Amino acid sequence: MGNKQTIFTDEQLDAYQDCTFFTRKEILRLHGRYHEMAPNVVPMDYTKDPDVKLPMQLIINMPELKENPFKERIVESFSEDGEGSLSFNDFVDMFSVLSEMAPRELKAIYAFKIYDFNTDNFICKSDLEQTLNKLTREELTAEEITLVCEKVIEEADMDGDGKLGFADFENMISKAPDFLSTFHIRI
Amino acid sequence: VGNLASMSTNGSLTFISFFSFALQSFRRFGNTLSEYFHLLWFWHRALKIIGANFGTSVLSYFIFLKWLLTFNIFSFLINFSFIIIPQFVAAEPNNLSFTGLELLTGAGYFQQTVLYYGFYTNATIHKIENGPSYNMQLAYIFTVGLYFVICFFTLLFSMAKSFCKNFMDLQTYSGNASKILCTWDFNISNEKAVKLKQKNLSTQIKVQNAGAAMLVLPIVASLLNAFIPFFYSWLGCLERYQTPGYHVYVTIIRNIILKISIVGILCYYWVNVVAESESQCWETLVGQDIYRLVLVDFIFCLLGSFFGEFLRRIIGTTFCVSLGLPEFDIGRNVLDLIYAQTLTWIGILFSPLLPGIQFISFSIVFYVKKVSLMMNCQPPRKVWKTAQMTTSFMFLLFFPSFVGVLSVIGVTVWRLKPSEECGPFRGLSSMYAAVSEWIKTLENHTASKWVVWIYHNLITSVLFFFILSVLAFGKNCLRHSHSSLKTKNYKDLESVVLLQIIGILLNTRQQAHEGNIDLNLLVNFVFRIPILAGSRTGLASHQVSTNC
Repeated sequence: MGNKQTIFTDEQLDAYQDCTFFTRKEILRLHGRYHEMAPNVVPMDYTKDPDVKLPMQLIINMPELKENPFKERIVESFSEDGEGSLSFNDFVDMFSVLSEMAPRELKAIYAFKIYDFNTDNFICKSDLEQTLNKLTREELTAEEITLVCEKVIEEADMDGDGKLGFADFENMISKAPDFLSTFHIRI
Repeated sequence: VGNLASMSTNGSLTFISFFSFALQSFRRFGNTLSEYFHLLWFWHRALKIIGANFGTSVLSYFIFLKWLLTFNIFSFLINFSFIIIPQFVAAEPNNLSFTGLELLTGAGYFQQTVLYYGFYTNATIHKIENGPSYNMQLAYIFTVGLYFVICFFTLLFSMAKSFCKNFMDLQTYSGNASKILCTWDFNISNEKAVKLKQKNLSTQIKVQNAGAAMLVLPIVASLLNAFIPFFYSWLGCLERYQTPGYHVYVTIIRNIILKISIVGILCYYWVNVVAESESQCWETLVGQDIYRLVLVDFIFCLLGSFFGEFLRRIIGTTFCVSLGLPEFDIGRNVLDLIYAQTLTWIGILFSPLLPGIQFISFSIVFYVKKVSLMMNCQPPRKVWKTAQMTTSFMFLLFFPSFVGVLSVIGVTVWRLKPSEECGPFRGLSSMYAAVSEWIKTLENHTASKWVVWIYHNLITSVLFFFILSVLAFGKNCLRHSHSSLKTKNYKDLESVVLLQIIGILLNTRQQAHEGNIDLNLLVNFVFRIPILAGSRTGLASHQVSTNC
């Protein structure tokens, strides 16, 4: 349709449109953002699917993520190797899940991953303590933190195993109507 | 119903796979279309900056404003295409002179322009000999009527979606778990705003742990006389940290009552005094009144920003530093928007250009509020339940506002006598008479008998509209609710539910036609929908293709 871009083939752009919540123009814009983080490393020609990954240090310096207390966990949850380096596909995936059109169920899956610091598929007490520290900038004393974490587990733990599984987390999310609008980053 | 269900299952599966293919192609087409609207990029950037610095709650005001802008631009476009352009073709020359004062009063030169009802011809426009003719009376009433019907269903759908997403199946507890894991605003990327939020959260937790109840609102003392009933009913279900929220609710209710009274008194005055007066062209007079109201409201909105935010910031930073920066008053601002939109909706019938004017005024308000926000305000400290407040505002837009407008328009179109000497409905006994007379002429042509049938059996059938509205609300609610039941074969359930609803509808229609309408039947029907909804899964409607 008159577009002169040579970054992606038409099939690639269509595939991106179908698998994410972005339009063609937004995907090209995302590529521009990805490229400007490391212009020497990221090629302008993606038609051959180059295997390029950007390290976490670069990604968490993006203005959208820089001040977010959970920036490292967000990037780790979307990186395939778990260490925080993102390929372009991971990058697009990340912003797609965080966009306003992603459904609640999808966001809940990734929110759970983000708050699960030790990646054991449960949000246990130590995960909650780390979350709370990040949320309050470590201004609370150790007793206050323990008290709040115990209250959280008491309120949300349905199956009584002392930690929050995905079902408990989802149940809690379904009672929070603001979750969809707050778990959202505009790119 | 069992056989019917299994028969429909196979049919519905192929239908649904075709439907999802159609949906995918439609989505791709929609994406291509939206890329050509460069304006969308402007909104996106503005909203991003506001959200990044002030968070989702303040952002919801600007999103609401943008939503109202689409109502107005749509109205302007259809009015322009179907009423204003034909009128330009058939216009009489304007003999009045233009002095600058007309911009403020709306009278004088503007009276003989397309701005007001009075200028529109009641003739059937023939520009080409033996060519097609254009009936201005029918065009006027159908354009305005169609716009309101579309508004009605748009509002209904949005309310259903919003209500069922945010209110159903919620015992909203604002306990610790929710606060820690569900409320961090990922939108905010401004360093100071983030630090402020973190500080608020730690203060809240400290206070909560210390056991302070904080049940007494400073402002309740001054509102006690007027709002004791409200206060006591809320006291009964107070939650610990939500007390600042109820202060907001009380203030909003007071504002609402004030604005409803103003609009109500004005409408009463227009319908009973101005319309019955012997003046030459009462519709144009009403139109001018509304134009002036809209203009003054716009000026006050800008002044409100100037005094409430700019001057307040100056005072808060130089004279009285303990006050600090002001916060953006979301409630008051949204109510102002709803009031302005209500005025516009009332005015469409009397001044077809009004939505265009309101579009420009809302655009200026968006820009001014955004600049004022960035320059003068600090991020909000109060907790603001965005999703639920947005739903409540949408309800407010529908219930007192839109329904009130529909009643006023209804009275005007059905009961009031249009003026004899001006406008497209001059000489008729009521504006609606144009339609009923047209139907009468159609009855004489056998080719258009189906139009007459639709008119008599559907459009004039109140029951039909009631059932349609309930159906629309219920179906849209089903799509967006969150039932924790997930069944694999939800697609089958959906077709079964739909068949049941259609069956009930046909049955009710039949019974009503035979004069057997039973209140029990209707009530039964109305309450079956939520039960049917409960058996449906809550999976999101987004279809993702299998090769991802």
